[in-house]
Amino acid sequence: MIELKDINKIYEINKNHKVEALKKVNLTIKEGELIVLKGASGSGKSTILSLIAGLSKPTSGEVIVDSKQISKLLDNFSSVYRRDNIGFIFQKYNLIPTLSVKENIALPLVPLNPTTKELEQKLDKVMDMFHILHKKDMIVKNLSGGEQQRVAIARSYVNNPKIIIADEPTANLDKKLSLKFIEILKELKSLGKTIIVATHDPLFYGLEFVDREIEVHNGSLVL
Amino acid sequence: MILTPEVLAILIINTTLAFFAFIAFILSVKIYLNWDLESSSTLQYKLEKQSYLTATIIKYIFIVKVPLFLFFIFTLDKISNILIGAMCGAGVVDATEYGTYLFVLKIINLYIFAYWLALNSEDIKHENQPYTKQKFGMFIIFFLFFMVEVILEGVMFSAIDVKEMVDCCGTIYSTSSSTYIADILKLSPYIIVGIFYTNFLLIILFYFLKRKYIFSFLNLIFIITSLISLIAFFGTYIYQLPTHHCPFCFLQKDYDYVGYIIYIFLFVGTFFGMITGFVETSLEELKKRYNISLVFNTFYVLLVTSYVVVFFIKNGVWL
Repeated sequence: MIELKDINKIYEINKNHKVEALKKVNLTIKEGELIVLKGASGSGKSTILSLIAGLSKPTSGEVIVDSKQISKLLDNFSSVYRRDNIGFIFQKYNLIPTLSVKENIALPLVPLNPTTKELEQKLDKVMDMFHILHKKDMIVKNLSGGEQQRVAIARSYVNNPKIIIADEPTANLDKKLSLKFIEILKELKSLGKTIIVATHDPLFYGLEFVDREIEVHNGSLVL
Repeated sequence: MILTPEVLAILIINTTLAFFAFIAFILSVKIYLNWDLESSSTLQYKLEKQSYLTATIIKYIFIVKVPLFLFFIFTLDKISNILIGAMCGAGVVDATEYGTYLFVLKIINLYIFAYWLALNSEDIKHENQPYTKQKFGMFIIFFLFFMVEVILEGVMFSAIDVKEMVDCCGTIYSTSSSTYIADILKLSPYIIVGIFYTNFLLIILFYFLKRKYIFSFLNLIFIITSLISLIAFFGTYIYQLPTHHCPFCFLQKDYDYVGYIIYIFLFVGTFFGMITGFVETSLEELKKRYNISLVFNTFYVLLVTSYVVVFFIKNGVWL
């Protein structure tokens, strides 16, 4: 379970310029839920995601994941928390363009130091699942947007995280590929993953398998 | 006042370090007074960020202080050429009434900074950061030690009069001088060397018995017994002169700078030995500290002993 309690987040651009990204946000997400955070650019959706992922800390308030207050973790523990619990799909995929599909997907597993056999098994399984196995040795910069997206999803899934976070995942995809991505989300949900998607893509609105749509407006949740 | 390029470099670097240490001091006071890990307030989150910054500042101060200490010794040696009567750093240290205090304080500060880092490293290994308040509280005191060192250093260099004649190490470390060192030098070498090797054997014994507090205490004593035996006994074999007891001359080129290796072995070995009892840690880390301590202490003992053995093999007599 994910809980955000009285979260405030202020970005200090400089001494005289502060941006209040989140204001007294309270949110509870149950295990296995699929949540869509919707709202305009700059409304605070990505900030919520980065707090849940332990990528940043609130200015005040608590972020609790499975009874652990992750907003208080030191950087080294945050990294371990992310490694073990979070799969992150970025808007621009954030792949390493000069590495192959297989190498990109393998990256989250590197700190776990798996044997070659274990690694190969895991990679093949995930690449097969996301229909990218036939391109496994290709350099990712030579792939299409949709294929890169699938590599990014495979990478987020490879360490079998409990929580999958997607930040504007379809911003760079056409409608057809976006619908394919939605299908993948449905599949991930059926596997019991907790999924949080931040988007302003109307394709995500009103989907039957989405548990809740939450509007974020000016740093507050519109409930 | 003596102001060679080396002295100037030391003073500038130390002033810079003092500036950063002052920032760390202000932040340490703030953290010490307000730290509450249970709180999710804006202040606590700010303190958590600042604690990271402060620890980083202190870490870099230490990283600079270690080579700076070696450079300080090198500088003492170098400026001994300017002072009338001085043959090595010992003459410079003895040239003013502040030198000895400064030298001892510098060594103490190195140990306490290293201790602080060991405590910090242990603290950040735990999610609940059990030593945060303690380590920043300690830094408030350590900062004062450090400032005394910086001030004393400035005072010492400004008090040196290049026209005034100073004692050479032969006079300072002789049995005829009226110092504590002279009283020590008058002791029988059998007693001094006996205590030194007994101390080392006890360290080995408690290494195997894994009694960390006793091991730690024995390492503390080992610094003292090592320095005394080095001045009173082993040094004479390094110089191959029965009357020369200087702890500085072997830092010079004539002796292949062996003094630096000797002191590094001794200080690293005893430091890791001492923190076994001072900073609580995991069994694995404790084992690592025991091992590092024993390895460096053993290297130290082997190195100083080798001078005696080689001298005897070559000459067939003891000094």
